[in-house]
This record gives sequence, C-alpha cells and structure tokens, in this order.
Amino acid sequence: MLLINNLSFSRNDNIIFQNLNLSLSNRSIAQIRGKNGSGKTTFLNVILNFLESKTGEIFWEGKNIKKNIFNFYNKTTFIMDHNTCTRKMTVLDNINFWSRLSSSKLTKDEIVLLLETFNIQKYQNTKTMYLSSGEIRKLELLRLILEQKKLWILDEPYNHLDDLSIEILNQTFIDHINKDGVILFTSHLKPSINNLEVVDL
Amino acid sequence: MKLIQKIFFFFNREAKLFYSNIGDLFSNILFFFLSIFIFVFALGADEQLLRNVGMGIIWSLLLLSSTLSLRKFYEDDFNNSVIKIIHMGGMSYELIVFLKILSHFFFVQIPFLASIPIACVFFNLPINEVYNLILTFIIGSFILSCLGSISASMNLLNKTNFSIGSLIVLLFFIPVIIFSIGTNNSESDFNSLISLLLGIALIFLGISPWSSAAFIKLALRNK
Repeated sequence: MLLINNLSFSRNDNIIFQNLNLSLSNRSIAQIRGKNGSGKTTFLNVILNFLESKTGEIFWEGKNIKKNIFNFYNKTTFIMDHNTCTRKMTVLDNINFWSRLSSSKLTKDEIVLLLETFNIQKYQNTKTMYLSSGEIRKLELLRLILEQKKLWILDEPYNHLDDLSIEILNQTFIDHINKDGVILFTSHLKPSINNLEVVDL
Repeated sequence: MKLIQKIFFFFNREAKLFYSNIGDLFSNILFFFLSIFIFVFALGADEQLLRNVGMGIIWSLLLLSSTLSLRKFYEDDFNNSVIKIIHMGGMSYELIVFLKILSHFFFVQIPFLASIPIACVFFNLPINEVYNLILTFIIGSFILSCLGSISASMNLLNKTNFSIGSLIVLLFFIPVIIFSIGTNNSESDFNSLISLLLGIALIFLGISPWSSAAFIKLALRNK
C-alpha cells in the first residue's frame, strides 16, 4: 500500500540518508530503528512531504502522493515526537477540535469511554498545560482512534508512557493491523508485536 | 460542506484561544491609553493644539499598540506544530493564513474599535473626525492584519530579532496613514481616498496569503 522507492534526502550537502526502499502492504507494521541523529524523524517528515526529498518517489495505493497530497493526508494520522495539543485549551476542547478537523464519526460517549481507557477522564475540563507529559502523550495518542485513518505514522510513540499504557498501545496496534491498517513508527524500544518489520537507518 | 465545517471549528478554536488570552488585549489597550495620557500631559492644556494634532497621534499610537500583538500571530501554532495538523486536515497553508488574518481582524483589531471614541474625547476631536477615524481604522486595521501576517511569518525564520518584522509593518503602513489623515482635509475628495484605502486593502489581501504561506513552508522546512 505504501511504497517508498529510492528515497534520499540531504541537508546543506550533508547526506542524511540515501537510496531507501520500503514497501508496506496492508496488515503490516514496520519499525524504524537507528542511532540518535540518524534521521528517523527526518525520514517521516520526508514521507509526509513536509520536507522535500532529493531523489525518489513515494506511492500510496499506487499513486504518487505528490500528485494529490490531500488524498494521502486524508488517509494518514501523524503523531509527532512533541505534543501538538494547544496548551491553553481544555482536554475536551482539544479533542473536539481534532475530531471536527478530521470529520471523525465518533460520538461523545465513545470519546468519554476512550478517555476512561487511558485514565484521563477526570481532567476533561482541565487546561492541558496542567497535565503531566505522560498524560499529554496519551491525549496525543487518542488522535489515532479519533481520526480512524488507515495509515498510522508515529514518531517515538512510547515516550513518557507507563508500562500499562505501552501494553494498551501495543494492543491498539495489533487491532489496527487486523483491521487492514498500515503502521510505520520509530522507536528505540523493542516492542513485542508479531510480524514486526524492522528498518535500520 | 466538510471544509465549511472545518473553517467554522477553526474560528471556534481561535475564539477560545482569544478568550483565554484576553489579558493580552487588555494590556494592549492599556498601553494605548497610557501613551495617549502621556501625549496629552506633555502637550499641555491647549484645546486648539490638541484638536489639531489629535488624529495623527491617535493613528500612530494605534499602529504601535497593534504591532505589540503581532508576535503571537503564528508563533504558538508553529511551535507546537498545530499548523501541520491543520494542514493535514485538508486546508492549504494559504487558506490557513487567510483564516488567521480574518480571525486576527475580528478578535484583536475590532475590540480596539471600542477604545477609539474614548480616546477621541481626550483630544476634543469634532464628531465628523471621529466618524472618519473609525471608518478609516476599520479598513486600516484589516491592512494591518495582512501586513502583520507577513511580518509574523517572516519572523518564524528569525527567532531572535522581532523588531525587523515590525519595521516592515511600519514601512508599508505609511501610505495608509497618509490617506487616512487626508480624509479630514476639506480640500481632498473623501470618496476617492476611501477607494484608495480599499484598493490597498485588496492588494494586501491578495499578496499576504501567498507570501505568508511561502514563509511558513520555508520555516517548516528549516525547523
């Protein structure tokens, strides 16, 4: 479904990575591993067209993503390594904004149930600036379920999470793969997921 | 239809952010009034003198106090990458900039409008000049929002020196000041000056979304 062909990227004549090939079919999950500064985040940003690649093409469902980038974005959830929630808005306001932005079909009760799963329902009306970094991270990961997209691209999803949340996240990954999803993430951990493809940068 | 919904919720979010940052607006208005007090006290109690210089002083202080709020234009959304999320939600950067300009105009500049008649009292301005000032400020503040968008997006690339961005706003605002002050001159044609101001507003409305979007893209690339 996601096909990356001969991708290279350089910044100021400094080659970050080159000739990268990757193909992800439906029901597959891939982890990108590498040392600090080896260009994992840059790689994800190049895939999502936030950075211009030097050579190479990216295909989603057989079409070059640059021809219709919004078609690709419409199928993708991107979780960044830092938090994108607005610090001065409450948890519920943030969630409502995200769900409207992605035209989510989840109802209010389902959202409350989600918050209960991650144990942050008591902070519904608290501004996110008062939450701990782990709780903000969980709030961020809620976007995966809110947006209900096919391709998940995650940058360091396990940061700040406790053991229980890591287990829930792994289970969520497995559920998503079973629903024909595609997942690509970077991490330094070695999560216990079957059929995990590993790409070394 | 979905896009209209998204635009509506964009404004909804801007309104909530404005409400939580309402202290910034009050401090800007306070700055405006305090500097007007300083001018009035410095010039003394000559009624005729105050009436002659009033319009110019109010315009320049309005300009200076509005530039104070320009720093916040994109900085927060850029730093926590909300701009990327909104872009991935199906809005081009140009549309985001356009909506930002509109929301800045409605949530930051229009509340300033309420303080203008009160400021005019201190300078003993005649009522027709107050009307002119309000009309020209509505057009001029829209131009200010457009210019502010350009300078704030340029400043995303330059995080240490904010005064360079303000220089651009001040430089391009000179014609607007000339034409707005000209509306009070009985010899000049009122309608043609207003048309000129509207023309300038349309020019900047055309230019600023494209240029700001280009700067934002450049800044995202160098982040």
